[in-house]
Amino acid sequence: MTTQTVGTPLSRALKKRLESTKRSFYFLTRSPLATIGLAVVIAYVLIAIVGPEIIGGNPLMMKQYYLFQGHSIVFNPLPPFKYSQFPLGTTFGGYSIYEGIVKGARNDLILASAVVISGALIGVVLGSIAGYKGGVLGEAIMRVTDIFLSLPTIVIALAFLTVLGRYENVMIGALIIIWWPTYTRVVRGQVLTVREQKYVEASVAAGSSSLRTVIKHIIPNSIYPIFVQMSLDYGNVILTLAALFFLGFTFAGPGFAEWGNIISAASNSAYAGAALYNYPWTITIPGLVILLFVLSLNLFGDGLRDVLDPRMRR
Amino acid sequence: MKLYIYIIRRLLLLIPVIIGVTLITFYLSHININLLITEYEGKIHTYAQYLKIRKELHLDGPIYVQYFYYLGALFTGNWGFVSPGDIDPGTPVVVEFMKRFPPTAELALIATLIILALGIPLGVLSAVRKDRIPDHLTRLGAMAAVSMPTFWLGLLVLIMLAPTSPIPHWLTLYGNGQLNWSVYGLTSAGTPAPFYVTGGLSRPTGFLLIDTLYYGDIAAFLNALWYVFWPALVVALTTFGVIIRFMRSSMLENLGQDYIRTARSKGVPEQFVIKKHARRNALGSTTTVLGLIFASLLAGVVVTETVFNWPGMGRWLYEAAYNNDMVSVMATTFVFTLIIVAANLIVDVMYSYLDPRVRLE
Repeated sequence: MTTQTVGTPLSRALKKRLESTKRSFYFLTRSPLATIGLAVVIAYVLIAIVGPEIIGGNPLMMKQYYLFQGHSIVFNPLPPFKYSQFPLGTTFGGYSIYEGIVKGARNDLILASAVVISGALIGVVLGSIAGYKGGVLGEAIMRVTDIFLSLPTIVIALAFLTVLGRYENVMIGALIIIWWPTYTRVVRGQVLTVREQKYVEASVAAGSSSLRTVIKHIIPNSIYPIFVQMSLDYGNVILTLAALFFLGFTFAGPGFAEWGNIISAASNSAYAGAALYNYPWTITIPGLVILLFVLSLNLFGDGLRDVLDPRMRR
Repeated sequence: MKLYIYIIRRLLLLIPVIIGVTLITFYLSHININLLITEYEGKIHTYAQYLKIRKELHLDGPIYVQYFYYLGALFTGNWGFVSPGDIDPGTPVVVEFMKRFPPTAELALIATLIILALGIPLGVLSAVRKDRIPDHLTRLGAMAAVSMPTFWLGLLVLIMLAPTSPIPHWLTLYGNGQLNWSVYGLTSAGTPAPFYVTGGLSRPTGFLLIDTLYYGDIAAFLNALWYVFWPALVVALTTFGVIIRFMRSSMLENLGQDYIRTARSKGVPEQFVIKKHARRNALGSTTTVLGLIFASLLAGVVVTETVFNWPGMGRWLYEAAYNNDMVSVMATTFVFTLIIVAANLIVDVMYSYLDPRVRLE
């Protein structure tokens, strides 16, 4: 009880939030799979931040090697775990898979973060308007959300990339268009339940304006499901990005460091069949990297959902 | 509420969605007029011709008039022509659509069947053996399958199948017994895939499995089954995690109910309790998820068709987008959206039939 009486109101509120975060973290670490997921995700983030700096060169592009020990390696990929210069081997075009994976971590994480964070922001704003205000405006927002929810993900991305051209902004924009409706729905549902709570009523009775009520009470108390949704969506965005790069609808050429792009170097080359048959590592290794990252995100998100849903905690 | 009133209400709610979808496709198809008239490529030499074509296509009027003409063409089936650069240029989009739709429907249906056949038993198993090894393995396996890139899983399947497909040297692109990219476009006998060996026979339905049965060719039917199974499995594996999760939580919820305790206490065998009581009730709510996963299933179909050379709408979309064939891209986008909307409608109606309480809301 003593902790609640010392300090300014702000520091008290911060301390309380910190304590609840600590408690959530404790429950999260009790689930071994979620902990492993979190650890792997943190490792990927560290690689994305530090890795490209250590390797050097252009952090966006892979360096192209034409010769190795006097032989052309453009169409003859080197196997993994054999040469120290290329720890994970090379792929078609003479790109180092290891370099592509490390630099691709940064590119993928930046692209996916742009999509997920923008989508969540749009969702929070529109969802809280639709949930708190309701009425005609809320109904209209939800109808528009329904329309966008029925758009097929990769199809609409391909349509946008065809019509507006293959640019980075178009790709990110198309993915945001695909992902914002889910957040609007989640936030609205959450706001509808929080709105009925006693403390919201109390704050309205004390004369708080709508904006203040929403920002101070409603959004902080309905934010956790959004985090869960974000951690689960992050993986899906990475998968869709990789699929778009694999299909070749990209804003960058074959040297662009992106996990899907490394696979596409092998499978879209004229030697694709040979790649499947004789050089399987050009496909399997980048795919395993994607799988590990998305799986960890999903394990972490699943654990997070269990922790933040108090009914599941017991 | 009667069921038919519910269906009518649900259909009325569909109208704004359809209008919204047409607005989006209209915006996309009219933002870049040069792409819209690619079917006239090579026929426009002077500015006067360009203006004439714009006038013919009603592209010079105000935007709402254009939208009106767009809607008119959309509903009368006048969807334009496949552009040069595609496999058969100049075909009306609707004709091409008739050719491309059955393979996609076939693939999606078989994938749905696999999802149900795998997802429901695994979900039940996971709930019954909660927090024990089968549960952990199922959940981890399902999550790993969902976390795989669809195209990557497809390529892995191709790598797995490659040694079992004896393809003669003269058919491969680069000799040496290596397989070419269209390994899946060829049958094991080295002839082109079943879609292309109709041998002058007409295709009554366009569905591979039905057509082969129609001609009574059992060997071809089994071959077709082999061809449809692998891509369908890839699509199913990358989508079925959601079903397992829902089935599991729904089963757990039902297993905690009073009627289960009653059934157990009066001595009903455990197998019976799970199969007849809990699972039957859990199936109802799992139906709703089918509508939810349909969007991701179709996204998986697009990628898988491209990887496996499956001549469906996803492959068409890929080819059209590759050739900047705007008309075909918009047609496939519209149809895919309609399929998702229709799937949601069917699932809602099915669920309200299974659980009449839904209609009261």
